[in-house]
Amino acid sequence: MEAIERIRDKARELLESQAVECVIGYERATDNVGARPLFAYEPGEVARFIFDQTCHHNLTRYLRDKKDRTVAVVAKPCDSRAINMLINEKQLERERVFIIGVVCPGMVEVGWSRPSQELQPLCRYCRQHTPVVYDFLAGEPPAEEPEPSPPYPDVAEMEGKSVAERRAFWSQHFERCIRCYACRQACPGCYCTECFVDRLDPLWVGIRIAPGENEMWNTIRAYHLAGRCIDCGACQQVCPVNIPLMLLNRKLGKEVEELFDFQAGLDAETPPPLVTFKKEEKLEADL
Amino acid sequence: MAIEYQPRIIGFLCSWCSYAGADMAGTARIAYPPNVRIIRVPCSGRVDPLFVVKCFQQGADGVLVAGCHPGDCHYVEGNYHTRRRFALLRPFLDFLGIERERFRVEWVSASEGRRFSQVVSSFTQELLSLGPREGPAER
Repeated sequence: MEAIERIRDKARELLESQAVECVIGYERATDNVGARPLFAYEPGEVARFIFDQTCHHNLTRYLRDKKDRTVAVVAKPCDSRAINMLINEKQLERERVFIIGVVCPGMVEVGWSRPSQELQPLCRYCRQHTPVVYDFLAGEPPAEEPEPSPPYPDVAEMEGKSVAERRAFWSQHFERCIRCYACRQACPGCYCTECFVDRLDPLWVGIRIAPGENEMWNTIRAYHLAGRCIDCGACQQVCPVNIPLMLLNRKLGKEVEELFDFQAGLDAETPPPLVTFKKEEKLEADL
Repeated sequence: MAIEYQPRIIGFLCSWCSYAGADMAGTARIAYPPNVRIIRVPCSGRVDPLFVVKCFQQGADGVLVAGCHPGDCHYVEGNYHTRRRFALLRPFLDFLGIERERFRVEWVSASEGRRFSQVVSSFTQELLSLGPREGPAER
């Protein structure tokens, strides 16, 4: 049976038995090319569900809005890590989320008229093709998870450049930032009730859209996701001026992996590296 | 006449060890370069990476965070958190194009006036050799 049939059947079953109030999945967008989120409340709506390589959205972003209800969500491997991350941070209760895991073939860029054949860059570096946590799995997991080597080729390439080159690279990107905060809105990890950037006293980031202020925002946004980013790429996907935000997140991801041997969201128990410490660890070389 | 370049360092010193260490340097008449502007914080764990990034954004040439030696924190574990936080921030700043030499975390106890003076001197020297920081076109 096709994965999508299994998703629809499961969604129908969950809604009919009233095990969940709502199933969050994907449907075809009005442009007939891309996908968009679908919140199905009635069993009759499940036929609209789709799943293919255009379903790049991270639907776990919506789970906190519904955390007092029981919902089901269609989760790709990266999305499933977000669920673990949120449970770990006490933002979700595992019992209230039914996870319909999907085996992920990697997502493609969605153009104006048709999806491209190329995988998104981020998906080419992906190390998980099966969700790390699920209640029901649609699709067959691959025989073995391929490991790209090295796991952070994009970050390594950037590290190979000189400081001045990196400076120029980021200035040119941050200059374009319009600080719409779409990156924050799309991120499952950015859930503070008051973001540091919205504070007026102290005013951490000035209201002007200026290079310095933009740099401040982009730096701290990424740093706040250190050891928490689950590599879904939602921030970069929604950026209207195409700032390579994931390069920042992945640099921190690489450091966290090297220093603390940790990847966010692989389980819901291991405390993230910045809320814990080891007395005997030697980090002075990095300070 | 051209004005000679003098680096500006913002120093976040923990109130229990490093601030007292700087004080010790003063009372013992140990000279250190006047390039450091000291901000007293209750613990080095109080220093949010946000402060450091903000300093650089506002035009600092270097940022120093100094606290008690690991194991000596007045609040028992504050500086263990400091250590982890900045071990991540430092390579990250470097990735963004702010040389890693411009940011330092040092452990200075209340009795180490001489060490404080040495830290500030060597940091100032290093920043002098790096030269002024290239910031965004308009701050």
